[in-house]
Amino acid sequence: MTPDTAPPNEHPDIEIDLGSEQATVDPALFEEVPAEPPFARTVHTTPLHIVTSAESRTNRWTDWNGYTVPEVLTDLGDEYRALRGAAALADHSPLVKYRIFGRDALDYLQRLVTRDLAALEVDTAVHVVFCEGRGLVLGDGLLFRLGEEEYRLVTEETHLAWMMDSGEGFRVGIADVSATLALLSLQGPLSALCLHEAGVANIDGLAPFAARWADIARMPVYVSRTGASGDLGYELWADAEDAPHLWRHLMEKGAPHGLRATGFALRELARLEAGFPRAGKDYLSALAAVASAGASTPFELWRNPLVASGKAVFNGGRALRSLAPVPPRRRLVVLVADALEPVSLSSVLSGTRQVGTVTTSGFSPALGANIAFAMVEDEAADGELALTATLREGLGAREVVLRARILPAPLKP
Amino acid sequence: MKWGGVQYDAIVIGGGHNGLVAAARLASDGARVLLAEAGSCVGGAAVTSEITPGYSVSAVAHLLEGFPHRIERKLKLHKHGLRYAARDVATVALDRDGHHILLPRTRKEFAAFRELLPKDAGTYREYVARRRVLAEFVAPLLGERPPALNDPDALKRFLRRSVWRAALKGASTMQNLLRVLPEAIGDRLDAEFESPLLKGALAFDATLGGAEGPYAPGTSFRAILREAMRMQGQGAKLPVGGMGALSGALAASVAAGGGDVRVNTRVVRILVEEGRAVGVELSGGVEVRAARILSAIAPRTTMLDLVGARHVETDDLRELRHLVPRGAAAKINLALDRLPQFASLAPELHGARLLIAPSLAELDEAANAARSGALPFEPVMEVLLPSVTDPLLAPEGQHVMSIIVHHVPHAMAGGWDAHREALVQRVVRMLGSYAPGIEDMMIAGEILTPPDIEKKYGLAGGDWHQGDLRLDRLFAFRPAPAYGRCETPLPGLWLCGAGSHPGGGITGLPGWLAADAVLADGGSA
Repeated sequence: MTPDTAPPNEHPDIEIDLGSEQATVDPALFEEVPAEPPFARTVHTTPLHIVTSAESRTNRWTDWNGYTVPEVLTDLGDEYRALRGAAALADHSPLVKYRIFGRDALDYLQRLVTRDLAALEVDTAVHVVFCEGRGLVLGDGLLFRLGEEEYRLVTEETHLAWMMDSGEGFRVGIADVSATLALLSLQGPLSALCLHEAGVANIDGLAPFAARWADIARMPVYVSRTGASGDLGYELWADAEDAPHLWRHLMEKGAPHGLRATGFALRELARLEAGFPRAGKDYLSALAAVASAGASTPFELWRNPLVASGKAVFNGGRALRSLAPVPPRRRLVVLVADALEPVSLSSVLSGTRQVGTVTTSGFSPALGANIAFAMVEDEAADGELALTATLREGLGAREVVLRARILPAPLKP
Repeated sequence: MKWGGVQYDAIVIGGGHNGLVAAARLASDGARVLLAEAGSCVGGAAVTSEITPGYSVSAVAHLLEGFPHRIERKLKLHKHGLRYAARDVATVALDRDGHHILLPRTRKEFAAFRELLPKDAGTYREYVARRRVLAEFVAPLLGERPPALNDPDALKRFLRRSVWRAALKGASTMQNLLRVLPEAIGDRLDAEFESPLLKGALAFDATLGGAEGPYAPGTSFRAILREAMRMQGQGAKLPVGGMGALSGALAASVAAGGGDVRVNTRVVRILVEEGRAVGVELSGGVEVRAARILSAIAPRTTMLDLVGARHVETDDLRELRHLVPRGAAAKINLALDRLPQFASLAPELHGARLLIAPSLAELDEAANAARSGALPFEPVMEVLLPSVTDPLLAPEGQHVMSIIVHHVPHAMAGGWDAHREALVQRVVRMLGSYAPGIEDMMIAGEILTPPDIEKKYGLAGGDWHQGDLRLDRLFAFRPAPAYGRCETPLPGLWLCGAGSHPGGGITGLPGWLAADAVLADGGSA
């Protein structure tokens, strides 16, 4: 064992006889645990790493929020077919999860996010956006109401400093529970069947964005009908220690129905098809953007952002109320560029003028075309658009211009 | 809702002098005003209290330096009983060996000054003239609401006007101003003057009330600010009956305008409905409504404790985070059984502002000690004998002495209780070396440390400026960008205390300008 992997308090040679009247004191209990230097671990793994690494046939890994997660486990095409035709299981534990609780939790959240939460019932979730004072988006995420005074906010990036600052003057607790809460994403048309097989009763009764506790193989699991695939799908929230067992159990019961383990690349492709922008990739958080021009308002990012009109005060409210009537300067759109093979896309052209930039791109097998998220100037968005693409053949590269059109509505597979 | 059968147009929270000025101005404009003061008397830090029966003194602030004449006239304070015991109070820098320096106000005094300090006299004249030009440039900016930061046109107009005004004052004005803004007063004085006593006195005036020492950047500008404030008030004055007389006259002015001044009335909450301040809740649960609420208490307390975080955006609250006022001056009031004899001080100067600040080094040491939470070994101070010009403050032949001790820490290492006595002893010892025998004249006395001032007179942190007077904390930046121009992000609520532009001291201007803002918002409703 290397010192890095040795559990600090284990002395295998000392045997403690539990039946003995004479109590033996384990000396290890009184030994000081050497503090782990901050540089000891640079590779962070999720609670599900043990099972995903066993599934990996490609050894392709990527970094997601500082965690090592599989990029592709077997083959992206196979994984895609499982997602759209059967069911796909993925490890989404690197998402940031905050527990928000206390007497003022609702008031606190009402001020934090742009939409009105008054109608949010226990065991349901909503998509929320939160802004800073100038109306620029800090982040977006899913907000679950777990109990009367208990909420969970799931975001792509960390926002603890902002959330703590916003907590001043409220009786509210905010805790980052990312490390102790594992998240399994089960998406696809047969995902309900897989859950049924795994022992969740009456899963069809769960409405979109609703959630409830279930007992899967004697493990308590919070099941919510949410996900970023644009398809039927569920997310399973479980204790970090239970998560690998839950994964194995689901794979065991679901595999006969076509359930496959999938990686991060599929998630990116699915959310691109479904039209969900990702913080840090398709837009920059207002606090991360170097200049405010790098940040975006909700009106630029979403077609109909939920900005409450009934709420008197919320962060960014003053600015957003004045921004709402004017058309946004630029918009995040999904572009489709016809090409029979995956290409890498970079900028958006109107004539010869650059009017936008591609933020995420991918090849959609469902459309048989390249699709991309792009931030495009609003004036140019109605006209003819083109995309610059790089085609690679062997070691050579060729720049081409592809005609592009805006996808009016998210893709429904 | 009506309270006691009255429908109010405006409610002023806090009866310090700024709250009183705002209330009086609104009342004189015809608004029905309620002023709610939590304590048992109005005035805040501008009150007169008894040291011991028969001996009264201005409890905290003791000199009226920058109270604008126009406020006095418009609120008819003379009619309401404000009289002056002394006008244009002289300033004397005390010297241990009796070579006191009277800062000259007239040609005759200047001749004496030149005789005493032949080398510095010429420089001093230039220094004062330069300071005067810059102060004349700054003074109008203190008496008006600063331009809105988010209005580029207003800012442009403001800057253009300022540049023109500077150009009119002479080509070097802008140049001088730009040099003065970041300068430390100590460096400037060291470069120009020889007499340590003169330097000490000039630096004392520039730094009094703040925590910075004479070598802190920005202190030169504070000397300009102070001079500009003095111009508004046309010289330092002593009200008959102490500072409480000013507050009394202001309260009478409010009452004359039909306003209600209620003491022992604590506001516990500002009522907010649909994103607007609509009234206040008093302790005891009574709700009083009015379309306009003015808060004369600290901005941070107003927004966090009275309004509540849920009605204010995070950014707007974050801006107030740095506002934790920390006073840097203590007050000592003494009752004396006879007039103390300052060695070779002319009799007519016993009523003057007496400065004990022997040199820049002593000021700097005191500031350093205060910064590390210790008492200055040789305290620097401003001493007044108000009973010299206002004999009714003390029994005949006896006197009261009012001392502001500069550079006293807000938080003492080990707590204040163990150190109050030590501070008094050091102050008396220091005084004794200028006025021998003062220990034997003391009948009674009180000491107010910064925390005492906070507790007793409600001045947050015991800080009379309510936040440093620095360029980045003045004008529309005071107390914070979203709160400049006396406004708050919450419609219907204005700030009218010293936390707003142009800041602390007994100037009445924050209250006056807030009333301006309220009237501009929609007249007297």
